[in-house]
Amino acid sequence: MSGEGLVDAERRRFNRLALAPSLIVLFVIAGLPAIYLVVISLTPFQLVNPGSSTDFSSPLRNYLLLPGDPRFVNSLWVQAKLSFWGVLLQVLFGMLLALLLHTQSRVVEFARTLFLIPMVLPPIVVAIIWKLIYTPDISPLYYAASLLNVTMPSLTSSVDFALSAIIIADTWEWMPFTFLMVLAALQTIPEEFSEAALVDGANRLQIFFYITLPFITPILVISGMFRLIDSVKAFPLVFLLTGGGPGSVTEVTNYYAYLLAFDFNEIGYSSSVTIVMLLLVVAVSLGVVWMGRRREAMA
Amino acid sequence: MTKKNSSHKSAGFSRRALLQAGAATLGAAGFPLPAIAQTKPFAGVTLRGASFQHRFFTLLQNYIPEFEAQTGMKVDLQLSAFPVYNQQANLELSSGGSAFDFVNVTFILAARWVAAGLLANLDEFTGDPNLTPAEWSPKDFVEGAQVPYRDAKGATYGYSWEGGAMVMGLSRMDLMEKKGLKIPRTFAELQQVCTEINGTDNVNGIVSFQLHHWCLPPYIQGFGGNIFRKPPADIMPTLNSPEAVQAVDYYANLLKNYAPKGVLTYTEDQARQSHMTGRSNIFIHSSAWITPILLSNDSKVKDTSRVVRMPAGPVHDYPAANSQGLGIPKHAKNKKAAWEFIKWALSPEISMRLVKEHGHSSVCRRSVIESEEYRKLNTVNGQDLGALYLEVLGLPAKGDNYMAYRTVKEFPIVGDVLNKAFEQVATGQLAAQAAMNAAQEQAVANLRRAGTTL
Repeated sequence: MSGEGLVDAERRRFNRLALAPSLIVLFVIAGLPAIYLVVISLTPFQLVNPGSSTDFSSPLRNYLLLPGDPRFVNSLWVQAKLSFWGVLLQVLFGMLLALLLHTQSRVVEFARTLFLIPMVLPPIVVAIIWKLIYTPDISPLYYAASLLNVTMPSLTSSVDFALSAIIIADTWEWMPFTFLMVLAALQTIPEEFSEAALVDGANRLQIFFYITLPFITPILVISGMFRLIDSVKAFPLVFLLTGGGPGSVTEVTNYYAYLLAFDFNEIGYSSSVTIVMLLLVVAVSLGVVWMGRRREAMA
Repeated sequence: MTKKNSSHKSAGFSRRALLQAGAATLGAAGFPLPAIAQTKPFAGVTLRGASFQHRFFTLLQNYIPEFEAQTGMKVDLQLSAFPVYNQQANLELSSGGSAFDFVNVTFILAARWVAAGLLANLDEFTGDPNLTPAEWSPKDFVEGAQVPYRDAKGATYGYSWEGGAMVMGLSRMDLMEKKGLKIPRTFAELQQVCTEINGTDNVNGIVSFQLHHWCLPPYIQGFGGNIFRKPPADIMPTLNSPEAVQAVDYYANLLKNYAPKGVLTYTEDQARQSHMTGRSNIFIHSSAWITPILLSNDSKVKDTSRVVRMPAGPVHDYPAANSQGLGIPKHAKNKKAAWEFIKWALSPEISMRLVKEHGHSSVCRRSVIESEEYRKLNTVNGQDLGALYLEVLGLPAKGDNYMAYRTVKEFPIVGDVLNKAFEQVATGQLAAQAAMNAAQEQAVANLRRAGTTL
């Protein structure tokens, strides 16, 4: 082996050694619980029957039951609707807000800070705020509507509005994330491009579609993907605003998994639901990584 | 002289006595006598207990320093929100943990915990005169409130601190009297009163809250149905029986037509608030939630309220009753010390003090509830609330235990399905028959998945 080859081998060895502690910690923190979850999902484990945690007589039983469980299938569909509309609105309104506040002024700077508040609030606080807004007896929204002689249905217990109510609250909470990402992207666009386009006679709309949008598209996609992954965590809103109801209209998959584990004690079955959810999230995450690499390759 | 001598002698004796007493004290501190040790056998023990937040424990905490002084123990009582506590205790007990010396035995989990052998048999304590004096009297607890804490052989695993007897509160008797309406005694009359009152003076006919599997079963049973075929022996769900369908339809119509907007997501607090402010006329729930219309200082309808038995169905009159108890985990480290605490907390003396000093009337000691003092304190506008409470609480123990459906360990699974089905009917997603057919199918599938043999 040449001297350069030896140096490379040494460097690789050093890198491996340097990475090892982090990898071990990561494995213990994230890997082991995930493995345990997979193992438990292969059993009919119930809390009140501890012996069932080592019953591997029918390891695929839980997974085979999943397609025939209407609540599980429904929960996936509810999750898909919540994620799609939530992410779409967050990206759209976040972008519009960023375009609106992409100017230099003290007032605008203050407004930017103000708009970030929902994102930094603890999720349970957000849920309580919206619980107050959606409760007809005490809500300023309903009071204002009554002054205008408008009769509003109870949003969280209405079949037609319950999911929308959660999407609105989720959008309010997380729109600042997209707003922040897009604002950062907007600030990297060289002024010269817009100025040149203006000189060439382009109007504001054309500048947006031919210069701004191509620049911020990768950011929109990436932030959308991040929000898509995160949208699975809309648990506090569902828990506090609707409890999954009315019926199963707002019962997302993680809420169903929670009920299975903690209300019905079916830890094994709940684990299998969680594993399926985990796989779906991993698939989306891989999509994000792939897009990130593609973007780097294109750059 | 004699007097002087006597005085001198007395003074000398005092000094000597003082020295002797000091020496004796020091000696006793170094070598405690068995007699002294026996008065506080658990001195130095820290008892760890857990429950969900409830007024009973908030009040009890005022008295705990007295218990600590009497016994030399320290009580570390952890109170959490209802669902949080239930999950935590369920995990702790199921995993054979010993973190707690005493726990609240939540009504809906009692059967599960008792059947799985997660609690200590308290008969071992009550049966030993050295551990439990006769005057503590386990039989003094209202029989209906004790049913959930017994196993099939009759062994006791908990003693109740709270009784929940379902009663009906009417907050706007003034409106009813104006319209010539009487207190409803039947389901049909209930509907009629709701129809007549709803909208009058901006008052809703009825209010309820989101725990439908607590509010709905009395209607199902009133129409002649049940949740299971013959609980606790036969737990085949009977959610799509004609009676159950009729009851769901009836109760859904009540809430759809006469309750405040958003009632399906109402918490108990919201419902009580609506009732106490007179915004809703009728509320049917446990007495602890209903009697504040007469007893609470926050009530705006004290003068126009009545609390009575809930209306009877065409077939049966089955108001729901439940209780919450204190028990000792099977693997608790300080079982005897924990029993000392339970004995003290549920003693007739503490129960009476809670009633007298704080107006907390939902205790489970019959001797307290039947006492003259209790009757005086709980008779408002001529209504003997104690007698009503005792009457309803005792019903399940008379003849058929109609509350048995709620004490089977599979109930949470079926109850959740019932909740969902009811909401589907109340929001118009499905007709009652279709919803209950689907619920029946789902309940059976869920029970089988959970390993229940039907």
